[in-house]
Amino acid sequence: MPMLSPLISFSRRLLCRQQVEKELDDEVRSHLALLTEQNVEEGMTSQEAVRAAKIELGGIEQVKEEIRAVRTGAWLDTLLQDTRYSIRMLTKAPAVTLIIVLTLALGIGANNAIFGIVNAFLLRPLPVRDPEQITVLAIQQRDSPIGSSGFAYPEFVDFRKQAETFSSIFAIVMNTVQMSSKGDADQCFANYVSRDFFGALGVTPSAGRLFLPDEGETLGEPLIAVLGYSYWQRRFHGDASVVGTQIKINSKTATIIGVVQRRFQGMYSIAETDVYLPLSAISIDESPNVFWNNRDRRGLLVFGRLAPGVGLRQAQNSLDVIAGRLAEQYPATDKWFTVRAVPEKLARPIPYANRAFVAISGLFLLLAVFVLLLACMNVENIMLVRGTARQREMAILAALGAGRARLIRRMLTESIVLAILGGIAGMILGAWVDHLASSLRLRTIPLHVDATFDWRLFAFGIGCALATGIIVGLLPALRASAADVNSILQESGQRNSAGVNAISLRHFLVVAQVAGSLTLLVAAGLFLRSLQKVQTLRLGFDPNHVLNVIVDPHEVGYDESRTTAFYREIESRVRALPGVESASVASYVPMGGYPSTASIFIQGRITPPGQQAPLVLFNRIDPPYFQTMQVTLLRGRNFLDSDDGTAPAVAIINQTMASSFWPHEDPIGKRFRMRSDTAPLLEVVGVTSDGKYGTVNEDAQAFFYVPIAQNFVSKRALQIRTLVPPESLATSVEQQISELAPDLSVVDIETMRQSLEGALGFFAFRMAAIFAGVIGMVGLILAVVGVYGVVSFSASQRTREIGIRLALGATSRDILHLVWKQGVRLVIIGVIVGTIAAWCLTRAMAHVFAGVSTNDPLTYITVAILMSGVGLVACWIPARRAMLVNPMVALRYE
Amino acid sequence: MNSEQTNLLQGTLDLVILKALALEEMHGLGISHRIGQITKGTFKVKPGSLFPALHRMEEAGWLTSVWGESANNRRAKYYQLTKAGRRQLEAETKRWGRISLAIARALEAS
Repeated sequence: MPMLSPLISFSRRLLCRQQVEKELDDEVRSHLALLTEQNVEEGMTSQEAVRAAKIELGGIEQVKEEIRAVRTGAWLDTLLQDTRYSIRMLTKAPAVTLIIVLTLALGIGANNAIFGIVNAFLLRPLPVRDPEQITVLAIQQRDSPIGSSGFAYPEFVDFRKQAETFSSIFAIVMNTVQMSSKGDADQCFANYVSRDFFGALGVTPSAGRLFLPDEGETLGEPLIAVLGYSYWQRRFHGDASVVGTQIKINSKTATIIGVVQRRFQGMYSIAETDVYLPLSAISIDESPNVFWNNRDRRGLLVFGRLAPGVGLRQAQNSLDVIAGRLAEQYPATDKWFTVRAVPEKLARPIPYANRAFVAISGLFLLLAVFVLLLACMNVENIMLVRGTARQREMAILAALGAGRARLIRRMLTESIVLAILGGIAGMILGAWVDHLASSLRLRTIPLHVDATFDWRLFAFGIGCALATGIIVGLLPALRASAADVNSILQESGQRNSAGVNAISLRHFLVVAQVAGSLTLLVAAGLFLRSLQKVQTLRLGFDPNHVLNVIVDPHEVGYDESRTTAFYREIESRVRALPGVESASVASYVPMGGYPSTASIFIQGRITPPGQQAPLVLFNRIDPPYFQTMQVTLLRGRNFLDSDDGTAPAVAIINQTMASSFWPHEDPIGKRFRMRSDTAPLLEVVGVTSDGKYGTVNEDAQAFFYVPIAQNFVSKRALQIRTLVPPESLATSVEQQISELAPDLSVVDIETMRQSLEGALGFFAFRMAAIFAGVIGMVGLILAVVGVYGVVSFSASQRTREIGIRLALGATSRDILHLVWKQGVRLVIIGVIVGTIAAWCLTRAMAHVFAGVSTNDPLTYITVAILMSGVGLVACWIPARRAMLVNPMVALRYE
Repeated sequence: MNSEQTNLLQGTLDLVILKALALEEMHGLGISHRIGQITKGTFKVKPGSLFPALHRMEEAGWLTSVWGESANNRRAKYYQLTKAGRRQLEAETKRWGRISLAIARALEAS
């Protein structure tokens, strides 16, 4: 019973509030009556008795309030009361409320949008059974970063057999494949998966079935495919009857057996896998024997599920033991690496750790926090102004028995209610922005943002809102509640002029806003410059006036000789089209996909034991390629039509390859082998200038070309240099192709410029510039509104002073100067502080701005001029209005 | 009420109220009179301290209250001890006895 009674009393207060309040009132009043009665009995007159009793009691309301404060759950009572009161106050001034909520929504929305992406890429666990058990097994080579190479298949099998600390170990190889169904072909992001991939993860099908534990690694088994959920929705409109039908994967017939569960997007948090295929179906441009048996053909990404109760350290120990065993057994290939177990979450956004992404996420979150701070300052300013106006109300509350803590709580409740409203609006805004981001699709990489709203996002949004509420509310609350009751009530409606503290606080806010906004603009400017810089980087070829047309005749069953004949014919037809300067073919387009790589064995040089042969990127081309792409041949000769299958194998290398493999030597006439040290020799016949091959911002790297006539590949890019805008030729080229091979579909057709906008090109830079630009603009708008607000408020406070000055003979120009000068000084201080802050901040982040110095003077000067210009205008408008004050009106004011 | 009294009250107010109610049920004014009586005027409890304490103790389950009529037919709220309240009074009395003894000894010791 004693335990229960507080609860009973509390619930009674909640349920029968009025009765409880009445009883409270009755009790105190009856006490007063008893006191009065007693005083009368003691011989006072009735008037004296009442007075003495009231003095003794000390105020009915105050006593009641003190009783309320000791009761159980008093805080909740107060909270409910304050919330109700806040809502009433906020609806009384709907315009101000709306402005505050929208301002906060911008700030919180920016944070939630960016956090949403970070959450999807880095934080959300894989939607699989016990995701915390999933680890990435990463190979660490001596002297090179972790995960710079994958596992060879036999090594993977050894680890799978021997690692007892893992309940399962599974592997994937990623690739793009061409999938055609009912005549429609498209490029898909495919994962070739080892057996038990789905079983180990605990993924369930949303239609059909997934691979069985024994499917996946038996050569020659029938080709089956499992579709990714989004791909199934996109391509087949979620039609379950697609299960059991036949499609073609790279021209091989395959049966769709099922679709994975919704939200499982594969092992990459930034990309969604379109189709899962068994490892046995792997399509590789070399003999299968090499892939399945060689211990140095390293292409598998390997994952493990820790056995229940096994820690990371224990798992690492067991991996070390196995690696040691393998090193002894296969010293030639396995001696140079260790295998590290990394929790899956730490290996994001791609399974092998890439810290740059984390740094960029951090920077953007920081920028978003800046936006929120700017929003807070605006709201803070409004609250301060309102706080001054509401001191009277606070004074009345204080007179009625509210203590200072109670007043602060009331004001804080109000700002938190506002912030939560702003937070909700912000979460909606953020979710909308992420939704926009998730609808972005790229041809080369199936970038995927899972913008689903989850508890992390909610917690983040509410956290932002609460912090915001306290930040914006605390100071005005402290100020308003500190006011002296008597002096305020006696002023009887007179406007309380702001004290020195309030003014200097507002001035500080102006400086901080200008500085914060300037910092944001500098970051945005640097991202923009970075985009500009990469766009003007020397690519090593001329991307203007080039049309890329990708086709794969293998898909319609062409054999090698028919394919070769097809390309020869289409090239000559295209060359005959008006407006075409030259045409050539290549096996891949720079920055448009992943170039092939091969290990290189230099003739006469033995790869030292314990070292892996260097991997070099290459392209297969035909003789007109250098002319079409405008690649400069520095030395030696170009490929000739006579460099075909019957002629000796030749290669053309780039400068970096020449200087790193044959320093101080003439590379022409030197020989090397590709892929294995028993393969035929290639003779170097020429040297080209360096260029960009994989990504636009890569460092100079070794690269070589081989004649496509000596290295057959079916899928090629037909590249056309035009005299007219390249896109205008697209239809006539497609027409030529369909005349020549009616069944053949074009995999992709776009200009080289368009292709460069892809994921490996400028996409990331452009996105960063856009995001930072939007954040910068939001910051600028907030700052302008803030500066305008402060200057016009302080001008309105000085209306009477201005009136007096005018009456005493000041000209309106003097007034303009008076008001403007004050604002200008603050803006200039803000610009100086902001420049210093931006300089410090961006220096710490220097590595994310590709190609631009963080001291870039152009950015700083432009931003400083922009900021000062906009700031001065924001001050000028209220100053001009002050100038137009009519002295008579001003003096009668109040 | 001077500050000396306030400090004294904070630790002992509950005990004094419990003691005042030990004999019979009483309304607020009665309790404050009774306290004045039994402490020979050392304690003078003002309504601002008395009522919050009464409500707190009622919530703790030591007191219950009923509305009744005063000697002059005025409606007033009467408080009385519960069983838990009596136990609390006993425990507090013992504790207080120990403390005051200890303090007395400590002061004599010098």
